[in-house]
Amino acid sequence: MSDAVGNPDKVSSATDEQLMVAFARGSTEAFSELFARYKQPVFGFFRRRLADPEQAEELTQETFLAILRASSRYEPRALFRTYLYAIGLKILRAHRRKTAFRATFLGAKDKVREPASPSTADTELFLRQAVAKLERVDREILLLREFEQLSYAEIAELLRLPINTVRSRLFRARMALRDLLTARVPKLTAGELTQSEESV
Amino acid sequence: MNIAAHPVAPEEIMVFLDGELSAAEAQAVSAHIEGCADCAKIVEQSRSTSQALARWNVEAIPVKLEKSIADSMTKAGSRLDLGKPNLFIRSSFWNWKQWAVAGGGAVATLLCVIAISVSTLQRSPQATMDERVAHDGAQQSVRDNLGAGTIGKLEVPRKLTNTDKHSIPSMGVQLTRGYSNAPAPQASPSVINGQPTTDQLSNNAPMIARTVSLSIVVKDFTASRSLLDSVLARHHGYFAQLNINTPENAGRSLQASLRIPAPELSSALADLRNLGRVDNESQSGEEVTQQHTDLLARLKTSRETEERFRAILAQRTGKLADVLQVEEEIARVRGDIERMEAEQKDLEHRVNFATVELQLTEEYRAQLNPPAASVSTRIYNAFVKGYHDASETVLGIVLFFAENGPTLLTWVAILALPAILVWRRYRKALATL
Repeated sequence: MSDAVGNPDKVSSATDEQLMVAFARGSTEAFSELFARYKQPVFGFFRRRLADPEQAEELTQETFLAILRASSRYEPRALFRTYLYAIGLKILRAHRRKTAFRATFLGAKDKVREPASPSTADTELFLRQAVAKLERVDREILLLREFEQLSYAEIAELLRLPINTVRSRLFRARMALRDLLTARVPKLTAGELTQSEESV
Repeated sequence: MNIAAHPVAPEEIMVFLDGELSAAEAQAVSAHIEGCADCAKIVEQSRSTSQALARWNVEAIPVKLEKSIADSMTKAGSRLDLGKPNLFIRSSFWNWKQWAVAGGGAVATLLCVIAISVSTLQRSPQATMDERVAHDGAQQSVRDNLGAGTIGKLEVPRKLTNTDKHSIPSMGVQLTRGYSNAPAPQASPSVINGQPTTDQLSNNAPMIARTVSLSIVVKDFTASRSLLDSVLARHHGYFAQLNINTPENAGRSLQASLRIPAPELSSALADLRNLGRVDNESQSGEEVTQQHTDLLARLKTSRETEERFRAILAQRTGKLADVLQVEEEIARVRGDIERMEAEQKDLEHRVNFATVELQLTEEYRAQLNPPAASVSTRIYNAFVKGYHDASETVLGIVLFFAENGPTLLTWVAILALPAILVWRRYRKALATL
């Protein structure tokens, strides 16, 4: 399999799983390619789930470090994408537990850095608040489907839920989000929204 | 939406839009949507929701982060240490199942430790009491009545008779290993069959109840056992108690409480020491002269009182109630006299017959081919032992909770409310993330 990615020209055409196996065998080019493919999706994964961009950066780094550390034990039994987001989810949950623990016992609250662009803040805040109102598991399913583009089966495997539950919860989340967005639009006028989106 | 008119459920339409239906199902749903305005509206709404979400863009990954990960990748490629992962966010740890297993294991271990501790504590109160008595005995001021040259090195005797319950001070002297005991004070030779003679009492000779503790290691246990019998016979002593243990894969041992006439104690001890190597020897003597004198005086007084009552009963006449009262007094005094007489006999017996607490231990020699028990016997014994151990463990746990349950429940009741409040606060904080 590593021969498939031994040639730099073939690296870009290799599958994720082939690249990971090649990296486990010592090919740094393979991991560079994987990193190039997933750096933005993974960062987006955390960025949409965390208000603080610095924390999203930290967890992104932690995820790729976990992949690097576990590379020697990697077995291509599932899609690399599922494997990657499974690690990302575990890291995210651990981070949430730690943050909740700090908030409970130390009263520490995470700082939220203001986004650089006000127009980005409008859209982000608008959608973030709407999504935050969804039930927790529904929200996770919706985000995994809409942004990580995972299939129902992959989501079911990641969240350890029956696939029919994923279907019904995803439908419920979409309906709830539709209602939320519809209800919120009058507060944020369409003109403001269009203007802010144009400036992005 | 009427399900009868719409054989395709709205959820099915969503699945269709996500491309998760099979080709045949997708074709059927697609055909239905084309001819159904309501379903087309659902499609439109679903698409608009997805499009709204698609506007949620995030900034590009920072360059510094990219560089940091690239450095880590280089390190990993060079087999350099990437550092330990954060324990809290280790990818393969800290899910609820592992928490449950680890917590359950910890609780089980704790319960086992507690159960073992409880059962051990239950078995040892007698041993603790013995040690405490021995310790108290050692604390007593030592008055050496054993003659010149008897003090080698004072130690806490391993075994002492319970002499400190009397008010009369006791004497405790222990001889270190290999110490040759000096001649002990001889009880009066006029003691006959355990009864003190008038010489002993009238001469104001001290009455001493002697106790010796002797631990001897022997090579030939059987021969030593026979010799012990002959020593006792020769010195007119007897076994007050005898206990022989024959454990498997260990030397046999004998624990005996010997009673030896006080005058013959020294010679008997000399004979006993010849049985083997003296591992430990200690002697103590309790002076009971004062106790005995007091007892005799009280006995004499009580007898005189009894005589007076009897005289009153015989010579005087009176009411029936008075007669009955006198008879009750006579009965009470008689009871006191009998009790004191028994006490006197016991005291004199202790003086006349020294107590030797003897422990014989065989030097164990492992057998080259020990006769092993049969497989079935060993399996049976293992089951029995396992059953007993399990019973003891369960009993220990039950006893622990019986003893500490109320306290634990009290603490649970005290801590429950704060714990619930903290837990709710934690869940609330978690839900907002």
